This record gives sequence, structure tokens and C-alpha cells, in this order.
Amino acid sequence: MNRPFCSAWAGLAFVSLGALEAADTQPVPEPIRGMLARHCLDCHDASEKKGDVNLDHETVDWADPAQRDVWIRAFDAVERGLMPPPKKPQPSDSERGAALAYWEQALLKHVKIGGSAPRRLNQREYLSTVRSLFEWPGFVLPVGFPGDGESHGFDTVSDGLPISPAHFEAYRSVALEIADELFPPKKQGAQSQRWEAGPRDMVLSFSAASVWEDALRLVSKSATAFRSCTWPSRIEVKDSGVYRITVDASQFNTPAGRPFSVPMLLEVRARDLTASDRTNVNTFRLLKTIEVRSDAPEHTVFEAELYEGQTVLFRWANAEMNHDAPELADVYRRWFEEDKRFLAAWQKAIFPTGTLRPELTRLRGLNGWEVVRKHWENPGLDLSQATMEAEPTQKILELANSLSGTTSFADALCHFYHERGPAMEVHRLSLEGPLRPAESPRDSLRAKLRQHWVGERQAGESMEAAVNGILRRVLPRAFRRPVSAETIRDYQGLVERHLEAGHSFEEAMHLLVRNVLVSPRFLYHGVEEGSEHLLANRLAYFLTQSPPDERLSGLAAEGRLLKRGELQKEAVRLMPKSHHAAFVQSFVGQWLDTQRLATIMPDPRFKFEDDKIATARKETEMFFTEMLVRNLPMTDFIDPDFTFSTPEFLRAVYGIQAPTGGGSRPDKAMTRIPMERGGRFGGLLGQSAILMATANGVDTQPVIRGVWVLENILGTPPPPPPKNVPALTPDTRGSKSPRELLAAHTKDAACAVCHQRIDPLGLALENYDPVGHWREQWPGAGLAIDPGCVLPDGTVIRGPVDLKAWLVAHIDQFSQCVAEKLLTYGTGRPLNFAEKREVRDLVKRNHEAGNGFRDLLLALVESETFRTP
Amino acid sequence: MNPRNPFPHAPSIGRRQFLRGALAALALPPLETWSAASAPTGARNFVAVGTFLGWHQNAFFPKQTGAGYAMPETLSPLEPHRDAFTVFSGLDHRAANGHAAWSNYLSGVTPNSYSLDQRIADELGQNSRFPSIELTAGSGELPHPMSFTRRGVGLPMIQRPSVLYRRLFVSKSDMARTDYLLRSGRSGLDLLKDDAKRLQAAVSNRDKDRLEEYFESFRAVEKRMERQLNALHEPLPETEYQLPTYDPITPNLQIEAETILYHLMALALETESTRVLTLQLDGLGQVFSLDGRTLGAGYHGLSHHGNDPRMIRDLVTIETAHIHCFAGFLQALKEKKSVRGKTLLEETVVLLGTGTGDASRHSNANLPTLVAGGGFQHGRHIAIDPKQPDAPLLGDLYVTVMQRLGMEVDKFSNASRNLNQIFS
Repeated sequence: MNRPFCSAWAGLAFVSLGALEAADTQPVPEPIRGMLARHCLDCHDASEKKGDVNLDHETVDWADPAQRDVWIRAFDAVERGLMPPPKKPQPSDSERGAALAYWEQALLKHVKIGGSAPRRLNQREYLSTVRSLFEWPGFVLPVGFPGDGESHGFDTVSDGLPISPAHFEAYRSVALEIADELFPPKKQGAQSQRWEAGPRDMVLSFSAASVWEDALRLVSKSATAFRSCTWPSRIEVKDSGVYRITVDASQFNTPAGRPFSVPMLLEVRARDLTASDRTNVNTFRLLKTIEVRSDAPEHTVFEAELYEGQTVLFRWANAEMNHDAPELADVYRRWFEEDKRFLAAWQKAIFPTGTLRPELTRLRGLNGWEVVRKHWENPGLDLSQATMEAEPTQKILELANSLSGTTSFADALCHFYHERGPAMEVHRLSLEGPLRPAESPRDSLRAKLRQHWVGERQAGESMEAAVNGILRRVLPRAFRRPVSAETIRDYQGLVERHLEAGHSFEEAMHLLVRNVLVSPRFLYHGVEEGSEHLLANRLAYFLTQSPPDERLSGLAAEGRLLKRGELQKEAVRLMPKSHHAAFVQSFVGQWLDTQRLATIMPDPRFKFEDDKIATARKETEMFFTEMLVRNLPMTDFIDPDFTFSTPEFLRAVYGIQAPTGGGSRPDKAMTRIPMERGGRFGGLLGQSAILMATANGVDTQPVIRGVWVLENILGTPPPPPPKNVPALTPDTRGSKSPRELLAAHTKDAACAVCHQRIDPLGLALENYDPVGHWREQWPGAGLAIDPGCVLPDGTVIRGPVDLKAWLVAHIDQFSQCVAEKLLTYGTGRPLNFAEKREVRDLVKRNHEAGNGFRDLLLALVESETFRTP
Repeated sequence: MNPRNPFPHAPSIGRRQFLRGALAALALPPLETWSAASAPTGARNFVAVGTFLGWHQNAFFPKQTGAGYAMPETLSPLEPHRDAFTVFSGLDHRAANGHAAWSNYLSGVTPNSYSLDQRIADELGQNSRFPSIELTAGSGELPHPMSFTRRGVGLPMIQRPSVLYRRLFVSKSDMARTDYLLRSGRSGLDLLKDDAKRLQAAVSNRDKDRLEEYFESFRAVEKRMERQLNALHEPLPETEYQLPTYDPITPNLQIEAETILYHLMALALETESTRVLTLQLDGLGQVFSLDGRTLGAGYHGLSHHGNDPRMIRDLVTIETAHIHCFAGFLQALKEKKSVRGKTLLEETVVLLGTGTGDASRHSNANLPTLVAGGGFQHGRHIAIDPKQPDAPLLGDLYVTVMQRLGMEVDKFSNASRNLNQIFS
């Protein structure tokens, strides 16, 4: 087999012909040239060329994309009233209108709607496509699976999705993993084994367990495995089957520890040895609950199924001690009420000098208990403050009611139980088996996956027919469109040759899976032009991030999707219904950059922990979903009369008192909160998640927020800063205010062009700190924040509330921006001039018809831009 | 303590027999086919070891600078190797603080970016059976990647010694399966190619370009498959080393796992299976029993010692146990000779460090760092004053390491100088 692999590829190179168009050179009409000369050429002729724009031409070749780009920029600036600059003399409305009309028709002659390049599935789509193809919701990508690039703000745009050899390797190895799961290689027969484990062969994790002579003690019933459980460290079952499990256990009681009068319940569960130690105990399958009644070891023998990779885990299920809030506070409260000395000792340990110990972490583990015990046993311990009402007592109980109590000093209390009881003692474990084989959930899953792939073989059907049946069913699903007879024949040949070479049916199917999953027909979106199937795929991935379902594929096959209104009907059906929907998570995360929140670490001074970050993100996602589901007017994006949040978050971040709802933790429940319009908070620009995504967790930079608003709210991103200009990074802690520092931007004419658009928008948001709290002063210098400024169109605003009012008055510009983002995300391409014009018309019509967000989205789905490949 | 035993801290049952196996001669000489031209300095391999929870600075940094310093407590197992390594204090990457930025260790000022080992592997490792191997011991929850590709993808780490063993010393049945997979996979390529051609015919010219990427990747993967298939029929290294019947993957068996992984790492270098290895020593809530004593809190809890002397004592006990294992590794590298007649230690730059300067304060400044082997002039404690205006960065040391390995580079992350003068 020395044939070089690659020779077969020789000659298979593809030459790019490009889309060369014949030149279309036209003279610039005299009236237009006159207008340009009077209002533009002072700055934009060949010598000045401000902003790299030269408009001084006698003729324009409209077929040349580079020349067109210049005129598109000019068109946008004039249409939005940005040029000529407000301070300069303005052309008359008729002059302006004539120039815009001329440019528009010239541009539209050459710029046509359409042009998405083929692109591979991005990581999220790949995952959901595999899950859907195999009906395998639990499938996860391997660690290290390569991610995607971003282009035009989204991970769905072709330019950001090249296939590299690393991707190809990853696709191959996932394909192999899946093929192995469906058609696993033969395994050697199981051999029965016997393991023994004593107290010293068990895992000690945090303060969950301790070893005493011949026993291992357990004291907590926390739901987190590593705080309450133990398991043997050197036992891992290799073959799924029924095992004989023997456990010796006893009670441990002393008079000091409130002896147990009821049976202690020892749970024996099955854990995957490689599962995270942080796992919730209840996710491990319960094998048996043993009732332990005596202080002498009791012997229990039982049989249970253990699966490949598992070991047994022990938990004392009815322990008094529990790390988890709020039960932890109850445990402390009971002891404090019962034993004054005990209370005084904990007060002394946690408030050594009357104030809270700065390093609570010193109280971790046995070490912490030794600190408490020393005080407890000290005859001179001061008991004068040892009352339940005392402030330190209340503070301890408050800490014990939060995560901080769980992680810092709860472990010390465990050691009290380890020492004095009551505790569960485990003396010995033995494990023997497999006594007989058992089907693990993984085995059942494999059988199901295999069944789904292979289907039912008809009685008396030949192998050839059976294989053909499989291919006809499987290939169109894998490739998400009808498959030609030729392609079926090719794959049939592959399978049959493998069978003829003496391999089994399973091996041939294994090979088929490996091949299908690296085919470009599987990996790429829309590589064939203009079919309904392309439309079905586009709609399905847009709104569900998954392949088309049966109904949608069916409509495409019948040719019905091209009929007006049909696509819209399907869009209504597939529209997300909750903020968990893939579309909401993915689109909102990318459009509003809230996916950045996962990597931002707010400075500790903001007291913004992970749960607050999660609440902030959820607020924005639920808000977006509400806008969509209820078809609320576009202006509500900016200045709504509601938001979603928790009472706790509203209080802490927005300073708003809200009534608490029902449920077990009312303070942490997300609810729809009514708000006054025109306030500081509410709307995208007042939402914590967005203010956080536009800062770095430590300080704010007006330029970054300003650019962000231009890009994502107004849809008019500034060009990148020139390379030779050093970045101006305002030190917001210094004595100069950011406003003074930013003034440097507008002094230099080269900077001013863009920064007079950028800086006001950023400064207007300076009242929001890096996580979204309202502030009146800049940190450090203590200077009062002045958020007032002049917008590029000359409007004077006094702060964020005015900015919102301006946006509401110019809502179509925001709608245009959102619409372009949606279509870019959905079609995988940035919109061209013609497409933006189409969107402009749709936005206008939608505004006249009530301006609902959902209506806008449905109009976009029916647009030529969305429907054209 | 037996000076011949390179792994004196092996804690558990049956270890003696593994040791015998490890020291036995290899059945086959290393393969010249895997060797690339070695750097003029003679250093050709790179090993990085890093702890997730840092190294307690007071017990790691010597009190005196230069040669002849009193060996600090954590490093005490390294006394016999005093002349084979250099300790550094005062170096770091000026990276952000906190656990989340831990991967600054090999990534530099930007955590989770192209790491030193991968940069070296991309340049030196391409002709090895394995361009690089990433390992971890003591992980009890989500892995904390230490190595990152050029694109910033965190590489998965092997935790099970049995998996590493199978990769290094392929069994007959594994080999037959790999052979089958490669050959059958190749039969499918023709089909894919025909189908892709049809697809190409159906799309516009502009889109053909886009699909060309697919073919380029395809060809690269084909070449790789061909290399793998050819390699399968080259004689592979063998060893008599025996693994225990279980994988020591629960976190409290970390020291045991480390011991075994160091054995296998030495064998991987000796058989020239790879030139770049990393070992991450994770840490969570596991409570160790060391020197016959159960420690006062879990590893992670101890790292938050808040300057409590008893917690520090227990933390240093764990870290000294790590260094015991590391000393065994250096000893093994000293004893093993390459085909070029040098010791493996001379041919291997070994870096030991962390991305956590002080876990108790979650500070990532002043990272404890040690460099061994590589033919450098060793034996000193180099104390750097980070407050000096032009104070060297840890990245400067990394530039020196890369240059030592024959790479023509003068930058690493935020560093653009080197520390060559220290070793000359």
C-alpha cells in the first residue's frame, strides 16, 4: 500500500474567476458636481481627502466596487444628516434629494441583493446538528474542540468560519467517537474481580470524612458530594454488571453530641469515578439505603448494578450537620440555643477582637475547629455576650445562611461532629463481580442510537436492499436536503466493498458514519444555489440553531416554501418561546455582547458575584424575549415600562424597592417588574448586563461605550482608529476628569471627525459604573460626573435620560440597526447597499403598522434579502 | 533513603515492583527516525510542571541569593541536585490576579493564549510521534488547562496513567485497530472526493474558492494519516514498566499519580516519543495523609492559610511532597542517557513554576519559578527586584529557554528581552 494518498488529488484545484463586471463609466451630472463643489470638496478633494474620502471625480465607474464604496459612504453620511457637518452651510432639501436619488439609482444598478458564501456549521450549530441527526440530546463536544471566529459581530458569517486542518482533525475524531458509540468495537469478556477497602482507602475531601482507628466517619448530609461523601479511591469497575457489595457500618455517639435515637441512614450510591467532585449527590444513582442502629459494626450484604467506570459512594442521609444554606444556620442556631459556651467560643473565633475576622479562610477544616475548641475549653471564656440577640450571633447566623458560611467555617463545625458525634462510621467495603452482566444506561443508549441509524430490516430483505434503505433514509437527514441517486450509489459502493472485503455489517456502518460526518454536504450550509431546501435550512438555523424539522423539510420538498407567506407561517411556528431558546441565547449574546459576561471579573469593590452576573444576563435575555413574544413596539427596547429582575438585584444594583413574589426564595426569583418610563434604568442602555459588557469590570471608558452604541444601537460603526495614533486611555482615577482627557480628541481635527460622534455617547453613560450601578461622581478624584453633551446632529442632551428620548425620537435608525443585525446573523453575510435599502423600506412600513418587534422580524423573513442565497 | 531510588516519596503499596520495571533496559533502542536535528546547545526537550495553587513563597524562595544558599524547606528534596537547577524570585508576567488568570503561567500577560510549550512544540515537535503531551494529576472537578494552542484553545490533559501508557507503548491489538481505522478511512476518501467534486460543479465560481479550504484541510489530514500509517509499521518503543491495576485519579492519590506520571515522562523522553511534556498539579478539597499524618484541611483550604502557621506547615508538607516526586524525575533524567551519549537532563530544559504567586491572596505576582537541566550553568538563586524600573519579566526567562532549544525568537508575550547573561 505505498500509493501516495495525495496523488488522487492532483489536478483538483479550483481557479477563482471572481465576479468581473464590464466597466460602467458615467460622467457625474453637472448639478451634482455643483453641489459637491459647494458643500463637500473643501474637505473631500484629492488633496485634502479627509477621512480618506475623495469625491472630486468627473466620472465614476459604477461597476468598480472600490469606487462604489466611496459613494456609499457619502450617501450614508448625507442621508443621515452627518455631512456636511452641522456647523457648515447646508445644501437645500432639493439639492440633497437630487444627489441622494442619483446615487441610489446608480448604486442599485450594480449592487444586487444576495451573496452568502458557503460556510461551515459553527460550533453551536455543529453540536445541535449532531444531536438532532442522531437523536442524541446528551451528546457533548470533546474538550479542545476548535471554536469559531467572529465576523461582522456574529459567529454565523462566512468570513469567520474557515475550515483549517485542526477543524478537519476535530471532525474526524468526533466522527470516530460517534461511530464507536453506535457500533463499538468488540470487547473482551468480563472477568470477575474482588476489591477490599478500609477506612484508609477512602477519599477525604474537605471535612466530609475523617479516619479514626478502624473507622471512617461521615457527618454532613450536604448535597454537594465533596462536602459530605466518601468513596474508595482505588476501585473502578471495568465491566457493567451486578456486583455483591458488603458494607460494615456503625453509629458513633458520645454524650457531648446529642446521641441519635433513630436509625442512621447510610446511602450507598453509584458514582462515576471521573465525575466532578462538585456534583450534586442526587445525580448519583441510589443503590441502597442501609439502616444503621448500633454502636457496634453491622454487616450488610446486597447486590446492585454498577456500570463501567463507576465506584460506590457513601453519604449519611439523615445527618444533623448540613453545609447548605439555610439549613446550616439552623444547625448553628440549635447549638447556640443549647450551649452558651459553644456560642461564646464561635463568637470569639469569628470575632476575635470584637470585629469580624478579616481572613475567615483561616477557620477552614480541622484547623478552624481547633481554634473554636480552644476557646470552648477555656475556663476563662467570656460568656457575657453569649445571647442569641447579640450582634455577633446574628452575623454568624447570617453568614451561615450564605455561601460564605458553607465555604469558610462550616467545615470547622464538621470536625466538632467528627470528634464528639453523632457520626456515621464506615469500617469496611468489599465489592465482588460482575456476578452477571447488566445493561448500563450507556449500553441502552447505544442500542437506541444504533436502532435509529439502522432502522428496521424487512424480513427476507437482501443485504443490498437493506443498505440501500438505510442510505435513503439517513443521507437526506445528514445532508439536510434531498440526495441524488448518484450520491446514494457512491455510498452504497463504499459499504458493499467493505462487506465484500470480509468486514461485518457493524464495521461497514461504522465506516459509513465516519464518512458522512466529514462530508462537505454535512459540514457546510447552503452549498447549492436557490432551492427551497436552502431556504428551509436558513430559516431553521436562524430561529432554532438546528436543522429543519420534518414539517419544514416536507414543505420544502413540496415546493411550498417559495409561496408568499409560507415562510412567515413557519417562522411563527419556530419563533422562540422562552429566553432559554438557542436563538435568544446566541443572538442576544452576540448582538449585545452579553456573552462577554462569562469572562468579566468585576472588581471586588462592586460586590458583584457570579449570581448577580447571571441575573443581569437573564434580565437582558428575558427582556428581549418579551419584546419578541408580545410584539412590543421598537421604542420599548430603549424606554420600556417594564424589566425582568429579582427583588434582591433591583435593590442592590438599581436601588429600586420591589415587592417580593412567591416561591421558596422570593428574593431571588426573576419576575416582570413594572417601571416608570423615562427613568435612569430600564431599556437596553440602562441594563446592567450591557453596561458590564461595555466595560472591563474595573473602570469605564467612554470611548468603548460610545463605539459600542454606534455599532450596536445606531448601526453606524466608526472606522477603526488610524494606526499611527497612540491610544488615549483616560485614567478615571486620576485628578483629571475623563471629560477633560477626552477633550484632547476633539482638539485634533483628525481625531475629531469620529470622536465627536463617539465621545458624547460614551460620556452620556458615565453615570453607570462598570457593573451598572448609578453613580454621581467619578471614582478616585471625587469629581462630579457631568453627562451632558452635544450629539453630532446638534441636539443638546443632559444625560442618559435625554439620550433615550433622542433615540425614541429617531427609533427607525435603531430598528434599521437591529434589522441588519438579525439578517446578518440569519444569512451569514453583512448587508450590502441594496439590502440595506430594502430593510429601510421594511422598517418604515413596519413603523407605520405599529412598529412591533415581532412583526419586523417576520417582515425580514419574507424579505428578498433573507430569501436570496 | 535509598539514593538509587529516583522516586523516594512513593507512598503506597507495590511501588517497588514498578520501580524495578522502570529501571530495566528498554527492549529496543530509541528511534532515530523520530529525531530532528538538535540545537547546537544540545538542549532539545522541554518539560513544564505547574501547580494550580502556587508554591508558598517563604518556603520556596531561598533567603540568600547567588550560590551556596541554604536550601529552603520546600526545595529540600532537591539538595542532591543543587548544581542542576536555578531558583528565581521576583519574576512574573504582570498578569491579572485571581484563579481565573491562572493560565498566565505558560501564557504570559494574557491568560488562555498561545502557551510556551505549544510554541516550542509547534517549532520542535513536528517530527516526533507526539508533538507534545499534556498531563495532569490531582484534578477533582473541571480541568484547568495549562497549555493553549496558537488560537487559544485550551488543550485537554491526560489524567489516567493507563491512557498515557497505551499511547506510548502501543499494544498489538491497539495497533491492529489503528491500522484498520486508517486503512478503511482512506477508502472513504475517494468517495468524499468524488462527491465534493460534484458539489463544486454545482456552485458558483466564487463559492468554489470557499470550498477549496475544505480540500486543503482534507489534504493536510490525508498526509497526516499517511504518516501515522507509515509510523505504525516502524518498530515502537517497548518497556517492562508495569502500571498498577487501577488508575490513581481520585485527587487524594495525587502524589501517587505524580510519581507514576514522572516515570512515564522520563520514558517518553528516553524513547524520544516526544520532545515537549507538561504536567499540571491541580488542587481542590482533597485532604492528604502524608508522613503518616492526616493534614488539617484540604489542599485548597490550606492554600488560603491566612498566615496561620499550622496551615502553612501542612501546605508546605504537600508542596515538599510534590518536590520529592520532582527530585525523583530529575534523578531519572540524570541516569538515563540519550543515543547522543548525553544525559537526558542535559538535553532537557525543565521548568517548574505556577501561575499563582500567592493563593492566599489570589495574587499572581512574584511567581515561584525554577529551571533545571538543559545544559545551563546552574546552582544559584537569582533574586530579581520587580520594583526596579527595568525589572526583567518571567517572559524574558522564557525567551532564554526557547533560544536554548535552538529557536530563533526574541519575544514572548509582553517580554522582549532575555536572561541569557544569567546562565553565561
